[in-house]
Amino acid sequence: MSPLIRTCVLVAGIVIFYIAYLLLGALVFSYIEGPVEETLRTDLTSLKQQFLNQSCINASQLDVFLERVLKANKYGVSVLRNGSGHSNWDLASSLFFANTLVTTVGYGHTTPLSDVGKAFSIIYALLGVPFTMMVLAACVHRLMHVLTYGPLKVLQDHAGLQPRLASTVHFGLLLILVVLSFFAVPALVFSTIEGNWSFLDGFYFCFISLCTIGLGDFVPAEQPRQEYRALYKIAVMVYLFVGLMVMFLVLRTFHRLADVHGLTAFFHLPSYDDLAEDREPIVEKAEKEDTRETTKPLDPSSQVSYNSFGR
Amino acid sequence: MRWKTVSGIFGLVVAVLILGATVFRALEQPHETAQKLAILEEKLSFLVEHPCVNATELEDLVKQVVLAIRAGVNPSGNPSNQTSLWDLSSSFFFAGTVITTIGFGNISPHTEGGRIFCIIYALLGIPLFGFLLAGVGDQLGTIFGKGITRVEKMIVKWNVSQTKIRVISTVVFILFGCLLFVSLPAAIFQYIEGWSTLESLYFVVITLSTIGFGDFVAGGSEIEYQEYYKPMVWFWILVGLAYFAAVLSMIGDWFRVISKKTKEEVGEFRAHAAEWTANVSAEFNATRRRLSVDVYDRFQRAASFKRKLSSEMGGPGGGPLDMSPVSPGKRTLSVSLGGDEYEGGGPHQPPLSLARNGSLFLNGLSPDYVHRRDIPIIEHLK
Repeated sequence: MSPLIRTCVLVAGIVIFYIAYLLLGALVFSYIEGPVEETLRTDLTSLKQQFLNQSCINASQLDVFLERVLKANKYGVSVLRNGSGHSNWDLASSLFFANTLVTTVGYGHTTPLSDVGKAFSIIYALLGVPFTMMVLAACVHRLMHVLTYGPLKVLQDHAGLQPRLASTVHFGLLLILVVLSFFAVPALVFSTIEGNWSFLDGFYFCFISLCTIGLGDFVPAEQPRQEYRALYKIAVMVYLFVGLMVMFLVLRTFHRLADVHGLTAFFHLPSYDDLAEDREPIVEKAEKEDTRETTKPLDPSSQVSYNSFGR
Repeated sequence: MRWKTVSGIFGLVVAVLILGATVFRALEQPHETAQKLAILEEKLSFLVEHPCVNATELEDLVKQVVLAIRAGVNPSGNPSNQTSLWDLSSSFFFAGTVITTIGFGNISPHTEGGRIFCIIYALLGIPLFGFLLAGVGDQLGTIFGKGITRVEKMIVKWNVSQTKIRVISTVVFILFGCLLFVSLPAAIFQYIEGWSTLESLYFVVITLSTIGFGDFVAGGSEIEYQEYYKPMVWFWILVGLAYFAAVLSMIGDWFRVISKKTKEEVGEFRAHAAEWTANVSAEFNATRRRLSVDVYDRFQRAASFKRKLSSEMGGPGGGPLDMSPVSPGKRTLSVSLGGDEYEGGGPHQPPLSLARNGSLFLNGLSPDYVHRRDIPIIEHLK
């Protein structure tokens, strides 16, 4: 089979597998969540009925009112307790929003309401997302030396392990470290600070955020009586950014691992070295250029033109 | 140096974020305040209109309703004819939003089991989707590349430069892709979902960049959709994501090229500055040396002339002789230092006797060199 046909077949195979995977997920979600939804629906109907029974309003009036309330709530404006509560667009919250925009997490707990805001979001995202990706790539490139190449060297030279084994061991250790420090510990912290989050909720939040899925069902620093809200939001922002960097690092290490084990070649995917060369940040090349420039002689006597006859 | 650069870039990112935050705040806060006031008014008027309802009961109801809405249960209207949020097609859509990392959030799992499964599902599904995206992007690139080569062949006949062809092909790629993956779907959404143009465009950009707020979701409203609508939306998301990934990486490349070019230009500028400095100091040194040589030469000539005169006339050297050494020197200076006109002043002096070592070059009056701006060779002096 020619390589072109082979890649086409591979892609087709992946598409079919992907559809099957989606179907599987759909079935499982439907099976797990459906009954719960039914219960909630019946509960709510009875609650509404109870409410209507003991008051002087009719159903349609209540519906109208509820629709308005829910529409406002969708945009983060709450009608409870005289609407007291923080603004969703003070500086810290706007910063948080901008951060979710450029890291493509996109919780959606606050969204731009005005037309101008929406238009600005479009432009801000179109420029900000590639810029953030570039910054993350540059930072990860640096971190790789510290967290991957260094330890790998140690494992291979000092412990005398084979490259394959060394990279597997290193990846396993890295994974454990990342899960502990970026999932387990923050989940504990979140479940402590946020009153009604369990540990699983915190873990779920960390995972959904660091994968940039950002469903938005859990968002920290949104409780009505939160102390040091601005500081908390900024801390969460920093955590998200660093966590994203670390996820990229793990992904790259995994790519390298797959390379070493020959998986990428099997699937005709670009190997780690190809990608690394392409995406090598400018800062590296600039250093080499700088050193070359400084060694250029500058004193006049060494300039050939001033010593030559032929003018 | 490298850490400085990285921290510089990091500082730039923080600055950009802060800038975005201030703009968002300025744009959105007034709107939000207006909304808040409106809804409070609504609530108060409702309570006033219906005095048998007390505030706490109402708030309880509202809380429950909000939670229910989050779980996807809409309390308004007749509950019997509502579609479930977790029927097969909606679950399929949800699974898709998880794997593509868009994550709208209008549907989200509420049970513990659902959440744990979501985590595991995403762990496996996201890399899978990554592969798929790479494959689709590749195919897109090949199709587009073939079209571009055909167009390039046509354009080459018109003798256009290579860079222009590249630029044209990039522009064509962006325009064509925009039309196919952005404008056309936006128009369709506008028609079917009833959004405004801006809202449709906003939805397209927010979805295809995988941000996915969820305030607008195609297929998420209460409208009666055709059977093929949701699968078509999913397919559009798949191909559109590949296109968007290509566009975003292109923008990223532009950033890198710009920063690279800036670095190059700065480097070039520095090299030029160094060269210019070298030029100037070389000229300065050469002139200095020649001047000192001239002065020495002058003295020598004056001394030898004096000796000659004194030997011929047996008397002290006269006044007029004092002038002559000066003017050749001056002329020499003026000739060599930048081409002032030959200020001969008086008549040509007869070529003075050459300096001791016999080099013609030292004599600034030597006719070949009078009008030249060159720095005479001084090596011979040494």
